[in-house]
Parts: sequence; structure tokens; C-alpha cells
Amino acid sequence: MYGGGSIFETPKTDTLKNEDPVKIAAFEARIARGEKIEPNDWMPELYRKQLIRMIEQHAHSEIIGALPEGTWITRAPGFKRKLALMAKVQDEVGHAQLLYSAAETLGKPREAMIEDLINGKSKYSNVFNYPAFTWADSCFISWLVDAGAIVNQLANAKGSYGPYCRALDRICAEESFHLKYGHHCVIHMATGTPIQRKMMQEAINRWWEPMMHFFGPPDKISVHTEILMNWKVKMASNDECRNQFLDMYVPKILELGLTIPDPELRKDPDTGQWVYTEPDWEVFKKVINGDGPCNAERLAVRRTAEERGRWVRQALTRPDSIYVMPLA
Amino acid sequence: MKQEALKELLYKMADDQLILGHRNSEWTGMGPLLEEDIAFSSMAQDKVGHSLVMYQMLHQLGENDPDTVAFMRHADQFHNCQFVELPIGEYDFSLMRHFLFDHGELIRFELLAGSSYEPLSLAAKKLKGELRYHKMHADVFIKKLGNATEESITRMQRSLDYAFPFAMGIYEPSPFEESLIEDGVFKGENHLKDLWLESMTKVLNETELKIPDPEAVKPVVGGRTGKHTEHLQPLLDEMAEVFRVDPTAEW
Amino acid sequence: MESLDPRVQRLNIKQDGKDFPEKPELDQWITYEVFVQLVEDKPFRHEGIVHACDLDMAFILAKEQFTRRYTCSGIAVVATHEIWVSPLTEDQESVLDMDPSDWPDAGKEGNYEVCLLYRRGKQHEHAGQIQANSSKDAFRMTAEAYPGDAKPIYNVWVIPTDKFRFSTPEEKEIWDTLPEKRFREAADYKAGDKLTNFKNAIK
Repeated sequence: MYGGGSIFETPKTDTLKNEDPVKIAAFEARIARGEKIEPNDWMPELYRKQLIRMIEQHAHSEIIGALPEGTWITRAPGFKRKLALMAKVQDEVGHAQLLYSAAETLGKPREAMIEDLINGKSKYSNVFNYPAFTWADSCFISWLVDAGAIVNQLANAKGSYGPYCRALDRICAEESFHLKYGHHCVIHMATGTPIQRKMMQEAINRWWEPMMHFFGPPDKISVHTEILMNWKVKMASNDECRNQFLDMYVPKILELGLTIPDPELRKDPDTGQWVYTEPDWEVFKKVINGDGPCNAERLAVRRTAEERGRWVRQALTRPDSIYVMPLA
Repeated sequence: MKQEALKELLYKMADDQLILGHRNSEWTGMGPLLEEDIAFSSMAQDKVGHSLVMYQMLHQLGENDPDTVAFMRHADQFHNCQFVELPIGEYDFSLMRHFLFDHGELIRFELLAGSSYEPLSLAAKKLKGELRYHKMHADVFIKKLGNATEESITRMQRSLDYAFPFAMGIYEPSPFEESLIEDGVFKGENHLKDLWLESMTKVLNETELKIPDPEAVKPVVGGRTGKHTEHLQPLLDEMAEVFRVDPTAEW
Repeated sequence: MESLDPRVQRLNIKQDGKDFPEKPELDQWITYEVFVQLVEDKPFRHEGIVHACDLDMAFILAKEQFTRRYTCSGIAVVATHEIWVSPLTEDQESVLDMDPSDWPDAGKEGNYEVCLLYRRGKQHEHAGQIQANSSKDAFRMTAEAYPGDAKPIYNVWVIPTDKFRFSTPEEKEIWDTLPEKRFREAADYKAGDKLTNFKNAIK
């Protein structure tokens, strides 16, 4: 699961100056025809760099995304929830594996990406820097954070890079389980005992702002890069994704008798766009830059996992093995 | 067939599977590499799934429903061996436990496939494919790490030495052994233990690891009769933390 | 803040990340390409990669990453560097029509597995086994055997058979219960009735 938005840095388009215009024209024609770009095709350096960064950040978001819900993996109530949550968190790890593999076809080894993650050089989705206080938080994440991720991922699956699209197709198929499971949990909480309802409402209140942050800053203040749109690297704007999410899920939250902590929230019947209180983007920036409630813990856990697993990897690494980039 | 004997057999198997599955799920999201994180999680899910099948069978025999049985009992009501409740430790220990346990578990299921108690024989036939994978997985890791570097061999040996007396405790005989054997339900823990020793010795002999002498080792027993280490009750409290907020609620 | 995850609490980790050693860039296992056969008689299709230290490890790791849902009747794995790869064509141009004389070659006389890419953007599929003098020879023989009026092929992978680990017929039982892993599927989480009852009750 992933909230993209504009956590990517702005590309420097002047790097294009050094590229062969004939090759660029053929490359752009292929994308315009709707064909995918494959690892062995020629591509501009800017395209390669931008994709590595984007897919890598997506992969980091999956592996870090396993942690907030993982908070409840040993405490899931009953067999059905226990099995489902184990499988769901496992899927997040699986998604990271698929995405790192897709990024690896572009020439960055997986361990180099993981190194950048644990050293704090590379970003991941901000939403995972928040704590899951109760079981209800894990229900919120499974349903609504995943729902937001699906909005993003379905858009990206129509992009131009073959290995990324194929990974996303697989991921989206698995996300349908996450979404249904999450909704199932929330329905049970909201229609359950007064304690359950209260837990669920409190989780929504805690997670609403991070959820609004999830899609990234509003289009009017985030940088647009025409060229990434043309190359089908970035497929939908932050506001489009946010609006689509609100359209699909606000009614589903309200029908459960739950409330959303934003008095301004409503759909404008004339424009079809949602009106809402702008979340605090200073908080967003602060958390992205490392000062959220769980940033330190999330990275420390990944670092520890790396450290504790190192002897296994090192014992079995063969010095004579031939490393090449994966094929597709 | 004596129901008491059958229930004892089902309970100890189910409790072993649940507790080990729960323990191994602690690695999910924190494994030594992404692919292994996924494989280990699947096997933990398989284990919890197996326990559910066993608790359902017990439910058919008049016991409480699986959720109540799994989430509401106190440690001294659990029949799992002490081996499975030990903390996950470092990966070497978790792997070694998986290796030792699943070699026996596969043989147990192969034996039970011929059980006179039909629900059990059907379940065993169906599920043994999963255990075959568990054994394949364990064997690959043990053979490699047991032959690789000084560090990996030392770690695996240390874990083997520590785990072995506990693993012997898996086969603590039940008071109903004779009745189970007589009725054709199960061939008995002693028989299983011999097959297990043979099976895992074969793999360990392909490594640098030295198997402790089974005759000289004192098996750690007691789990089958509700005597547990200090680790089980906290595990159960954690597992049931949400469930017990309101056991009558639907979560 | 202190971790809310009991698993993390047990690890007793420091959150500041100081003293964490940098690791060498290629401190990793090599990659293996993974092919999956969903049902009997269907071709093996390329699904992705795993990192592994050897073929046996690749096999057991691929099983759970690529076949933990729906159905599976077999998998096959091969080290990425063992695969001979043809150029990639586009539009209506078939790679089988190209002259391979100048391309690099690999391998010696023996059996080879041939995988074809039928559509750009999709996955390679295993097409069959061929006895040849080398990888390029296997490509040539494939091109000759391929019907001229058939749709274009965009890319060819040639793999020495002895480097390709297929699951054996006896191993099939490791996927026996896969269709019953319902807890991993969306269809197992229906709560429509509960929702309807609730909505009716609050009306």
C-alpha cells in the first residue's frame, strides 16, 4: 500500500539536453502507442532515475507499511482475524519484494535500496509514521489506508514501465483481499458493542488527518512536471486521487453511523469535487522530514531486521556468484 | 474407541500447532530477507490453520468452539510441549525449532493418514502436503547453514544443543498410548520418536552439525500435562488481549 | 515514543540508529527467474524473481512468494545469468525474422528450454524443449520451426535444461491445499447482511 503524491523530488529536466533526440522521439512514440517500456529498451536517464526513485519509495512504503499493522499481529482476536492479519502483513512484505524487483530491473541492486532506506536517504509513505494504538487502528489501516493505496496503484498500473505495471497488477489483485478484509473488520466494529464502536470512532478521529495527507499536497502548491505525465510515469494528480478516495469511501464510513472529524467535509454538487478543511501541511512536512511519532521506530525496526538477518545472508553468499539485473 | 484418549491426542497436537504458529508469526515483517520473511509467515499460517482443523474436530466431539478454546484457556489448561512456547530468539533457534518440529510433524501426519478415526485420517492426508513443504524448507536451510561458515555452523550447533532436549519432549508419552495404539488411532509417541530421530539424523549427517546423544539427553517434559515454562502465560495474555476485551463480541 | 508492538518491545532496540555499519553495495544473493504453471497442461509463465543463494533455495522461496493463492501445479526456477536473451522487437517486427549471426552465443550441445514473448508488456511463456548445439542454435531452430504466418514473437529466452529446476510430479502435493486457503481471498470477507441489518435498525 502506498500514498504517492509529491514526496518525490522535482526532476531536473535539463539532463535531457544530453539525450539523442531521435531516440527520444522513438521512445515517446512507443509510449504514445500505448506500448510498455521494457528493461532492455533504450530510455532517457531522467526516465530511469525518476522510475527508480518512485518504485523504490513505493517498495519502502510496503516494507515499512508491514509494521503499523504488524503491531497487532500477535493480538488479532479470534482465528479468522489471526489468519487474515498474518496473511495481510505477509502480503505487504510480498509487495515490497515485487516492487524492489521491478526497480532492480532498472539497475539499482536491492541491497543498495534497502541501505538507502535504513540510512534515511530514501523516503516512504508518511502515513506509516503514525502509531496503531488499538486494534481499531489496524482495522482502519487495512480498510482505508489500503483503499487509498489502491486508488494510487490502479492509476500507476496504467503507466509506461512494463515491470512496474506487472508488479502492480499482481499487487492490486491481492489488495482486493485487504480491502474486503478491512471493511469486514470495520463493519464488525461499527455494528458491534458500544466499546467496539467507540474504539472505531476514535481510530477514525486519529487517522483522518494522516489519511488526507496520504495523497500528498494539493495540486496548487505541488510541482507539476508535464514531462513525467507525458512519459506516463506520474499518472494522476494528488487532488484527483484524494477526490476519488473521498467519493468512494466517505459514504461507506457514514453509512456505518461513524463520523468524520471535519465539519467542512461535503461534496459540492455543482463541481462534483469534495470540499474539506485543508489538513496541516506543515505537520506533513515535519513528519516527512523525520519528526513524526514513529519515524525513529520504523527505521530502527528495519535496521534491526537487517542486522539480525545479516549472518544468514552472509553465510550463504557465494563470492563467485554472477550478479546481473533481473530480466523482466 | 475411547474419546478421552482421542481428545488428548487432538488437544496436544492443536496446542502445539497454535503456539508454534503464533510464535513464528512474530517474524512476519522482520525476517532475515524478504523472501524468507514470506515463506516463514506462510508456514506459521499453515500451523495456525492446522490447529483450527483440530479444534474444529474437538468441537464436533463436544468441546467448546475453537475461538473460546484457543483464546480463553489458562496456561495450565494447554497441552503443548514446552518446546513450542519458547521465545523465537535469534533466527538460528527459530529455524532449528522449525526443522526439529516439522520433521516429526510430517511423520506424525503420515502416520495419522492411516488412523482408524476417519476425520483425523482425512485431515492428515489433506494437510501433509503442506508439511512436506515445511520439511523441504527446513532441510534446505539446515543443510546450507550447517555447512557454510564458522559463524553459521556455531550458531546452528548452539541452537541444536539447546533445542534438542525440548524437541525430545515433543514425544512425551500420553497416558493413553496403549489405547490409541490398540484402537488404531495413532501408532504412539515412541514409535514416532524413533522415526523422527532417523529422519532428522539423515539430514544432519549431511552437515557439520553434531547430534546430541538421544540416550544421554533428558527430555524436557511436562507440557502435555499442563506444566509450562514462564513464557506461555504471557504469550496467551498477549494473544487474547483484544479478544478478552469482550469475549462475546464479534470482532 | 515507546513501541506499541510487543514484538518490537521484546527486541529491546535502540531507536537512534548510531553505530549501524554500512554494508557493501552488492552484499546480496543473486536473482533467479521464476515461472509458474497455474494448472496442468498450461504453459509455465514468467512471474518474477527471487533472491537466493542457489537453485534449491530459489525453489522453496519462489513457492511462497508466487504461489500462495488460487491454484498451482508447478514452478520452475533458473538463475538470471543462465538465460540467453535475444533482442527485443516491437510493433509488427518478429525477433524470429532477425539474423542472429552477429549476436553473442552461449552454451554447448545439449537440451534447451525456449521461452517466448507473445505480447510486449506481458510475460514470457515456456514454449518447449529443444536439442541444440548452443543457445543461439536453439534460437535458430525455434525460428525455423515457427510457422511463418503466426503472430510476431518479440523476445526469446533460451535456458540450458540442466540449469532449470522444475518441480517434480511428486512435489505437486505441496500445492494440494492451495484452493482451500480461503482466508487469503476477498470472497471470504462478506459482511453485506450485517451492514444491511444495521442500516435497517438505525432507520
